[in-house]
Amino acid sequence: MKKYWKEKQNGRRSFPSSGLMILYFGGFLFLTVVLFFYQGINGKYYFQRAKNNYVKVIPLFSIRGSIFDKNGVLLAYDKAAFNLSVIPYQIRDTKDSLFKEISKSLGRDTAEIYRNYSRNFLNYFSPVNIVLDIDKRAALDIQEKLGSKVLINPQPQRHYPYSYEFSHVIGYVKKVSSFYEELKQYGYSPLERAGFSGIEQYYDSYLQGESGGRLIEVDAGGRVVGFLGQLISKKGKDIRLSIDSRIQREAYRSLSGKKGVIILINSANGQILALCSLPSFDANNFIKGKGLSRLFDDPACPLINRAIQSTYPLGSVFKPIEAAGALEEGLITPHTTFVCDGQFKLGSAVFRCSHIHGPQDLYQALAHSCNIYFYNLSLISGSDFLSRWAKNFGLDSLTGVDLAFEKKGFIPTRKWKEKKLETPWYAGDTLNFSIGQGFINSTPIEILTAMNVFASQGYIIIPHLLEEVGGIPSGISSKTYIGVSQNNLDAIRSGLRKAVAEDSGTAHILERLGIKMAGKTGTAQNRGASHAWFAGYFNSQGNDYTICVFLENGGSSYEAVKITYKFLKKILEGKLI
Amino acid sequence: MKNYINLKKIRSVLNGLSGLKTVIFCLLALNLISLSAIYSSLHQAGEFIGQEIIFKQIIWMLISWVALAVFSFINYRIYFNISYFLYTFNILLLIVVYFFGKSAMGAQRWLSIFGFTFQPSELSKVAVIIVLARIFSFTQNKGFLKGFLFPLVITAINALIIFKQPDLGTALVLIFLFLLIGFFSKVPKVYFITFILICSAFSPLAFNALKDYQKKRLLVFINPDADPLGSGYTIIQSKIAIGSGKFFGKGFLSGTQNQFNFLPERHTDFIFTVIAEEWGLAGSIFLIMIYWLILSKILQLAKKIQDPFGYFLCLGISALLFSHVFINIGMTLGVLPVVGIPLIFLSYGGTSLLISYILMGIFLNVYKR
Repeated sequence: MKKYWKEKQNGRRSFPSSGLMILYFGGFLFLTVVLFFYQGINGKYYFQRAKNNYVKVIPLFSIRGSIFDKNGVLLAYDKAAFNLSVIPYQIRDTKDSLFKEISKSLGRDTAEIYRNYSRNFLNYFSPVNIVLDIDKRAALDIQEKLGSKVLINPQPQRHYPYSYEFSHVIGYVKKVSSFYEELKQYGYSPLERAGFSGIEQYYDSYLQGESGGRLIEVDAGGRVVGFLGQLISKKGKDIRLSIDSRIQREAYRSLSGKKGVIILINSANGQILALCSLPSFDANNFIKGKGLSRLFDDPACPLINRAIQSTYPLGSVFKPIEAAGALEEGLITPHTTFVCDGQFKLGSAVFRCSHIHGPQDLYQALAHSCNIYFYNLSLISGSDFLSRWAKNFGLDSLTGVDLAFEKKGFIPTRKWKEKKLETPWYAGDTLNFSIGQGFINSTPIEILTAMNVFASQGYIIIPHLLEEVGGIPSGISSKTYIGVSQNNLDAIRSGLRKAVAEDSGTAHILERLGIKMAGKTGTAQNRGASHAWFAGYFNSQGNDYTICVFLENGGSSYEAVKITYKFLKKILEGKLI
Repeated sequence: MKNYINLKKIRSVLNGLSGLKTVIFCLLALNLISLSAIYSSLHQAGEFIGQEIIFKQIIWMLISWVALAVFSFINYRIYFNISYFLYTFNILLLIVVYFFGKSAMGAQRWLSIFGFTFQPSELSKVAVIIVLARIFSFTQNKGFLKGFLFPLVITAINALIIFKQPDLGTALVLIFLFLLIGFFSKVPKVYFITFILICSAFSPLAFNALKDYQKKRLLVFINPDADPLGSGYTIIQSKIAIGSGKFFGKGFLSGTQNQFNFLPERHTDFIFTVIAEEWGLAGSIFLIMIYWLILSKILQLAKKIQDPFGYFLCLGISALLFSHVFINIGMTLGVLPVVGIPLIFLSYGGTSLLISYILMGIFLNVYKR
């Protein structure tokens, strides 16, 4: 057995303690090494974390510019919304009971509160909005009841008074965080709002303003204990549009219950007076985050602005474009006549016309929308000619309208078909092309722009909505001469006029409006019911206007003509133009 | 090259200081550090909010110094005779507190006497050290029953009652005292090693006997991010506070973690984080060196003692001091689980301070003889 008490020479005992010395020293050395690891090696990292703990930036959101119509009617503006928020750290133990209490006293769904909580959560010490947009009274009541557990913070909230009529034009705003990756290169911060689609997106840089912020010190409970500085936010600029809300609402009413588009512009300068696409949606839903899945799932696609984002086969509205080209290239004269016997044989295939029109010159062919005339013309001209002139009229390019997410149409070419579909271009393709069927697709606004060439005596004019920014006229106006001679244009114009003016014209009912209407109808076949088109122009009070009416699966072009009649009658009676 | 730091000179000065003076000097330094740290920890956003607490602590310090003086004059051999009586008295107190005590933060640890609350579990530390010193001071091996099992049972009864309060930290410290004092006695070391092995084997069972919050603390010790707002919060914030002090600290009253309330219990168990944040690595090491100085003086003395009882008393006192410092700083650094042990001589808390000073007084008496 080991000897514990050593006898020393002088007879005094000595106890062992060096083992303990080593143990203690080792322990302290270990602590020192760990301390060195935290304070020495990782000191900077923890220093930054400590800073992040107590210095908080409270964003001061800028008030977005308002959007007015032509006459100063408010279409979009910021109002103060009272949001109920909590600080996660403060309520970490009482979250469930607190949420239950809030949902009970405000009559909101608990699930909604939890959803907002998880969606808006940033970190444990920043306020999280859990109930959005409560009225002021309710906000004060609940603050009194729950005290410091909840915070009421007023925040600017976008509001759209005529939401259904204008949603496609105005668009809406979204939190940047939901599409931050795309926007961060432009200097947006994730907490800001940014416009999404429509005017809100297109002119976001004007509307946005400059966000500010407060730099504050907070304690562990999230209470503000110090103030370091602030940057005041700046309000965005107001925007005035060329749109007339009375006309727009009339357009909306005329289309109600249908899927379709009405666009009305000033022919001379491209100012849009009405641009309406149905079905529509309530943009306020996006602000409140309510009923969105229903919107996304709706088979009628109310979120799509059919005026600029959907392409459709053109049908006969393509004919004046083709005719203008043929005159300009000297393939025909206005008096060139083809005989219509109701059908056109190409090999074994038979292509039909709507009626047996008999001999037709260009004017009659346009007035009656005779297919046989254009079949014959296309056999002379060939498909490259058709592609070329469709292109000249801008059917495969963006019109440049000042709305976000515009799509462009498509013009087929012989080369494209051979390459992409790996089948040769048949003569039948040319015939189809000549009456605006087959592969060609356009958006309603492209058709409007093309029709406006005839209304404006030969110019492609960019349709636009913006009229003033912050009280200063925008001065947008862009004209491109299309290169068709006045004589040829006049020939087409008189053909288009006859379509309305003559008893046998396809849009004759419009003559009753008494505005010297000219235009072209179109019934575009597709897999479902035919799309109905009418595009035309007229003069009222000395001003020229161009209109395009489109009904998706509307049946025959006559339906579109009826809507046009209904709509124009109302706005003429109301002396709106 | 000139030697700027004359190590020899420093050593001769330190050796020249008598143990007594060194210990007194260290304790005074710790008093100052304690008061300044508590003062700082009682600030919130630049506002001092705890006059009452700091006055209480000053009063406790004065009482403790008186107690130290008194106990340094009491012949420590008396404790040998009254050890069992003291132990029994302490057990009775614990039972009283178990049934009639004042509870705070879910634990029943306090007895209220004349307005001052008193924590009998602190007294246990003294009682157990004295009783163990007596048992182990026999100079021959007394066999398994009397030499090992008897002191084990004595310690275990005490530890169990304290564990039930619940105060896991103090209970573990008592077991540590038993192992450490026993290890240097004549009892065969095999017993202790076997005991440690058996304990480790049964630790999963022991885990189940813990209170929920204790379990959480242990689990969170393994992974603090598992529950960053609940039990992991303390460790995370404490680590941030310590780390953010860097080499030289943020300066007195400038610790943001402390000032902005991110540290819980910072004038009691987590006082070290306040010091580490405001004085940095330099301050932390300085503090550890003070503790080391006291410990080394105690052990230096223990070597010279002829009386086994005195020797084991010193061992026990040093072990208590070391375990408190090591466990407390370890838990603030997240390398040991949070078991709720104050930093000896520094943390706010009257009983703990008084008992520590009484132990130092006993040590000084041993030293003088």
